[in-house]
Amino acid sequence: MWLVVCHSTDPAALWAYEGLSQRALAPLVLVTSETLGCSRRWEHRLGRGGCIVDITLADGTRIESRQVRGTLNRIQWIPPEMLAVGVPEDQLYASQELYAFFMGWLYSLPSPLLNEPTPQGLSGRWRYPSEWQSLAGQAGLRTRPFRISARSHDAVNAAFVDTSVVHPGRRTVIVLAGEVVGDDVPPEVSAGCRHLAELAETLLLGVDFDVATDGAWVFAGAGVSPDLRWGGAAFLDKLASLFHRPGSALERS
Amino acid sequence: MIALCGIPTETPLEMVREQLARLSVPHVVFNQRKFSEWDIELEICNGRVAGSLEGEGRAWRLEDFRGVFLRLMDDRHLPEVQREPPGSSKRQYCRGLHDTLMRWCEVTPARVVNRIAPMGSNSSKSYQAQLILQQGFAVPETLITNDPDAVREFLREHGRLIYKSISGVRSIVKTLDDADLDRLRQIRWCPTQFQAYVEGADVRVHVVDKDVFATRIDTTATDYRYAHQQGNSPATLQAIDLADEAVNACVRLARGLGLVFAGIDLRIGPDNRVTCFEVNPCPAFSYYEGQTGQPIAEAVARYLAGKR
Repeated sequence: MWLVVCHSTDPAALWAYEGLSQRALAPLVLVTSETLGCSRRWEHRLGRGGCIVDITLADGTRIESRQVRGTLNRIQWIPPEMLAVGVPEDQLYASQELYAFFMGWLYSLPSPLLNEPTPQGLSGRWRYPSEWQSLAGQAGLRTRPFRISARSHDAVNAAFVDTSVVHPGRRTVIVLAGEVVGDDVPPEVSAGCRHLAELAETLLLGVDFDVATDGAWVFAGAGVSPDLRWGGAAFLDKLASLFHRPGSALERS
Repeated sequence: MIALCGIPTETPLEMVREQLARLSVPHVVFNQRKFSEWDIELEICNGRVAGSLEGEGRAWRLEDFRGVFLRLMDDRHLPEVQREPPGSSKRQYCRGLHDTLMRWCEVTPARVVNRIAPMGSNSSKSYQAQLILQQGFAVPETLITNDPDAVREFLREHGRLIYKSISGVRSIVKTLDDADLDRLRQIRWCPTQFQAYVEGADVRVHVVDKDVFATRIDTTATDYRYAHQQGNSPATLQAIDLADEAVNACVRLARGLGLVFAGIDLRIGPDNRVTCFEVNPCPAFSYYEGQTGQPIAEAVARYLAGKR
């Protein structure tokens, strides 16, 4: 069994599910946050026997972690349906508990798990623009000087994470398990992207660039839940191949 | 130069500051409660980190700091901003200052005790328990479920259970009793964590880089931190030596979690089996040092100063 775990409003994940379905991955189960929110039964065991998760969804589908051979994990927040009950004064507590629970059960899924949950994000470690800038510079990518202060931090951070602004010349490069998807990426940029993913200890990474008219690729940001459609069919082929590979358990960070 | 960040009267911070002074290590204390008198600017260029920290009429280059000790309280709850309306310029400045300080701590090559990201692992005990298992420690037999029948079966299997939160919120350990069993159906709404009770002595291990300080805690309470509230006598603490194997395992565990400074909660059973409950990434070590005289603050100060 392979899983695509995502929000129903995530078009890139739904695209990946459709694409993987056509690549002989069966059974491939789409698990949306809404279906998780309505699950009948959860059981997560830890101890001498290792770590086992057994979930029964509302339609009776059972997900046993030991049957899972690979997961594309795009969950970013806990299903709001799970917070709809309870008294208001308990909701903050309940949300913390559920986030902690989700982090635990997602992490228990066998490798390959793209991406593993972390305390800074259920589908990989979210980082501030300052940290990405630092890592990108260390990875040898071309960056712009980055300045932030007590008075400017809001504006600087907002400018980096505002997805509503369309940037002409913006390009996203997908890195999957140490390989850059796409053959039109300059070799030095490709090497920098691979190094960045390594520094970020992330299997699936999107790296944004502003491509200038002179052909220079300047780092513009990175993220662990990129729009996978940038990778096209080549990305789906690589992901399916990774999921199919015998003993494809990738070493955990 | 070493930066100590927090509230100067807070005991752990003060103890580390005293040790730095004793070791004649230059240091500056960023007092959160006087945030309006401080400023910070961070610059990153080609992966290099620079900038400045200003306060108390002085200024320091960020690149001159060799160590940072963080004991920050949530700045949104500082008394100085409590009466400020949401979005006020004072609140915004306070948040911006603390946020920029945090961003610097994430990227500086200085020794930071502890960096922010690894401190998050105990926000999910089931996540952290898996990291602990990976490092070779035993963890209590654990069941997290929303199925009351599964809990009853787990109770039959183990005889005595405790329950506690999965997150770091309301994290008090309690024994599952008859009254809890009567209201067990409520877990249908939120998966809840149950663990087999582990017999043995509580041991808190503070790891500072390669230094290990073990403290045995004797108590009759289910959770020694709340011994008094749970109607028990106060816990008694005693410094002990761990076996070399356990010492090495604790150092490996802290390092595996990315923590320079950690408080590891162990229980050592009558058969000497070591079970790890959790790892605290921001341990309030002063309680243990005050009771046992173990030089934990000195170890932190020496690490920050690069003297070990």
